[in-house]
Amino acid sequence: MLVNAELYVKDLPGQLVGSLEPISMVNGNIVGVVHNRDRIINHRICVNVTFEVDNNDDLEKLKNVWKARDVLIDSIGSVYKTASMEYLLLGLFNASYVEELIEKAAETVPFESVDVSYSTANHTKTRTAMITVEVLNEDDLDKLNLILEESCREEGIVYIRGL
Amino acid sequence: MRVLISGFGTVGQGFAEVVASRQDFFRERYGKEVRIVCAMDSKTYASDPDGLDPLELVSVKNTAGRVGRNTYEDSVKVMDSVDYDLLVEVSPTDVLTGGVGLTNIVHALECGKDVITVNKGPLALKFPELIGLARKNRCKFRFEGSVGGAMPIINLCHENLMGERIKSIRGIFNGTCNYILSKMDSGQPFEQALREAQQMGYAESDPANDIEGYDAACKVVILANSVFGRNVTFSDVNVTGISSITSEAVALAAANNMVIRLIGEVSDSKLEVSPRLIPKGHPLGISGTLNAAQILSDLAGPIAITGRGAGRKETASAILSDLIAIMDARK
Ligand SMILES: NC(=O)c1ccc[n+]([C@@H]2O[C@H](COP(=O)([O-])OP(=O)(O)OC[C@H]3O[C@@H](n4cnc5c(N)ncnc54)[C@H](OP(=O)(O)O)[C@@H]3O)[C@@H](O)[C@H]2O)c1
Repeated sequence: MLVNAELYVKDLPGQLVGSLEPISMVNGNIVGVVHNRDRIINHRICVNVTFEVDNNDDLEKLKNVWKARDVLIDSIGSVYKTASMEYLLLGLFNASYVEELIEKAAETVPFESVDVSYSTANHTKTRTAMITVEVLNEDDLDKLNLILEESCREEGIVYIRGL
Repeated sequence: MRVLISGFGTVGQGFAEVVASRQDFFRERYGKEVRIVCAMDSKTYASDPDGLDPLELVSVKNTAGRVGRNTYEDSVKVMDSVDYDLLVEVSPTDVLTGGVGLTNIVHALECGKDVITVNKGPLALKFPELIGLARKNRCKFRFEGSVGGAMPIINLCHENLMGERIKSIRGIFNGTCNYILSKMDSGQPFEQALREAQQMGYAESDPANDIEGYDAACKVVILANSVFGRNVTFSDVNVTGISSITSEAVALAAANNMVIRLIGEVSDSKLEVSPRLIPKGHPLGISGTLNAAQILSDLAGPIAITGRGAGRKETASAILSDLIAIMDARK
């Protein structure tokens, strides 16, 4: 997950590094740092940092380290970033099967977007559908993979997903 | 270094030729030659404590159809009759029982001999037991060529990436399937592409082992056990082959700028072989008989490798790299 945080760190040597270091301690990846030297409150400088962490647990660990190091968290929030995946379904099914499958999946996983295209060749009874989805995060993708895989297995439909 | 070769087909002969071609290197690096003291095929063996001529062995096998004059029934008795330091086990893969390869490897390790193998059967079935036996008897046990042929993947993970936390490995581990899927990209139907692969000698007359994903599954098991320290076997892999891939599916993928490839995926939680959609231009979207892998590690990020997954010289090259590692360690 991509996160943006606004921190206030003491205007003393080593404090800035000390506030960024915990991000690597939770295996996070810093995407960008902005030092707002024009925003100083109570001898603390405002630092805006954007970083990636694997999950909420890591984010909670990070917040605790910041608190322990006397880094004030002014605001923190996840940055909007979606995850996308492609699925190819092959077998004996019709368009309403795909629609119902997507509706069923949407009860568990909120979609940002869904696009379905079908193979135009219709000389065989089997159909081929490509479903492209965009969801909020990787966890939702994992849930979606399970739902589609299970339904396709039950119906004897070949299911191929992206990487 | 005295070597006993078990199995004298494509790989065994390729290895003998490589030994012959690298004697100068061995003399220079170790001050001694590598001697093949025994070679076995399915029914016969040749042995000489002073070393056999590797090229002569290949020539005899190809003209007479047998590697030696002596016949045998029990490979273990042959092994016990020879003084050797290293077993190179390259007999046929048997994923159901481990076959004679498993018997030979276990016996060599029990006798304190070092072992190199590219035989996937024993590794996919009994990996923890074999590693345990090697440790107990202080033997070197290496198997680079069992996954990806000449593509260095196991030693890369164990040696060059030693300090990394490897998160996942995804790869193309079966050249025959990749050949068939690549031909389908060009419009050939599955059946025709398979027949062509058989005519080119890439696929066996019974192609199930390749196209149903079993061969790739063995390699995924070897990677899971050796790189991720898992304790899994062939039956734990979630396997889907490529036999149900249609021309329409390939065309629909292509219309979306993707190709379909048979991908093996292994991580702490995944153990899977299945056809996947790969964006064109991605390192795993390669064509032809090549193997490829993408290793994802915590510090280095993604590392992509590609190479020839099979072949006489290519597989022998992987055995050579293991041989050098063992000779370095035993120096
Ligand atoms: N070919 C490759 O590129 C490649 C790549 C990676 C891994 N591998 C693995 O390497 C191994 C050998 O492959 P290959 O292509 O060389 O196979 P191959 O050409 O079929 O040769 C197999 C050899 O093993 C011998 N053999 C059969 N039963 C035996 C027994 N009971 N004891 C001792 N030897 C026995 C055969 O004897 P006869 O000659 O008398 O039949 C033959 O010489 C297999 O496990 C394979 O999966 C191969």
